[in-house]
Amino acid sequence: MRLLFFAHLKDITHCAEMNLPGGDMDTDDLWCKLIEAHPGLETFRASVRLAKNSEYVGRDARFTEADEVALIPPVSGG
Amino acid sequence: MEIEIQLTDTPIAAYLSAPTSGVGAGAWVEFRGLVRGEENGGVIAALEYEAYSPMAETEMRRIITELASGQPCLFVRAIHRIGIVPVGEAAIYIGIAGRHRAEAFALLAGFMDRLKQDVPIWKRRALTATELAELKIK
Repeated sequence: MRLLFFAHLKDITHCAEMNLPGGDMDTDDLWCKLIEAHPGLETFRASVRLAKNSEYVGRDARFTEADEVALIPPVSGG
Repeated sequence: MEIEIQLTDTPIAAYLSAPTSGVGAGAWVEFRGLVRGEENGGVIAALEYEAYSPMAETEMRRIITELASGQPCLFVRAIHRIGIVPVGEAAIYIGIAGRHRAEAFALLAGFMDRLKQDVPIWKRRALTATELAELKIK
C-alpha cells in the first residue's frame, strides 16, 4: 500500500510517501501500523481524514495492498 | 455545464475571457482570492501552497457538479496556484457563467466554502521578505 503525507504531517514522518506492507486491513489496523511507524502521527489522528485512491473514505473503509492512501490534514486552500 | 479545473505553479493571467461558447449567458462572475500581506499577525511576503493534485482536481469538479444541481450554471473555470505565491497575487481564480447573476453568485459562494473544507490544498508556510529573496537567489 502506498501512503501519502501532506503539509505538517510530512514534518512528522520526514517523508512525503511510504510503502506499507500488509494485506487487507481496516482503518484501525492502518492507524495502528502508521503510529507504530511514526508515533508522532497519533496526535493528529482525530483531525486527519483518509482518502483512498483520491476519494475520502469513512471509518468503515477497508484497504488493500494495491490502494493509494492519503492522510489529509485540515485543508487551507483559497 | 462545462468545467475547467487547473492547478498551476505560474501566475494566473490578469485577464481571462468569458467563454464564447456560453450562448445564453447573462452573467459572468469572477473572483480572485489574493495573498494578504499578513498571516497570523505577522508581516509576510508570500505563501507557499501544496496540493494533492489529482484529488484536488477531482474534488473541485465534484463540488462544482454537486452545487450546480441546485444552482445551474453554464460554465465554471477554477484555477488554484501551488508553490510560492507572492503577496498581492491571486492564489485562486473562479469564473462562472450563468443565465442570471443569482445562480452564478450562489455557486461561487458555495464553492469557496466547500473548497476550504474539502479540497486537499494547504498553505504550507508563510515566507518573510528575506526568505523569499533567498529563494529567488537560489
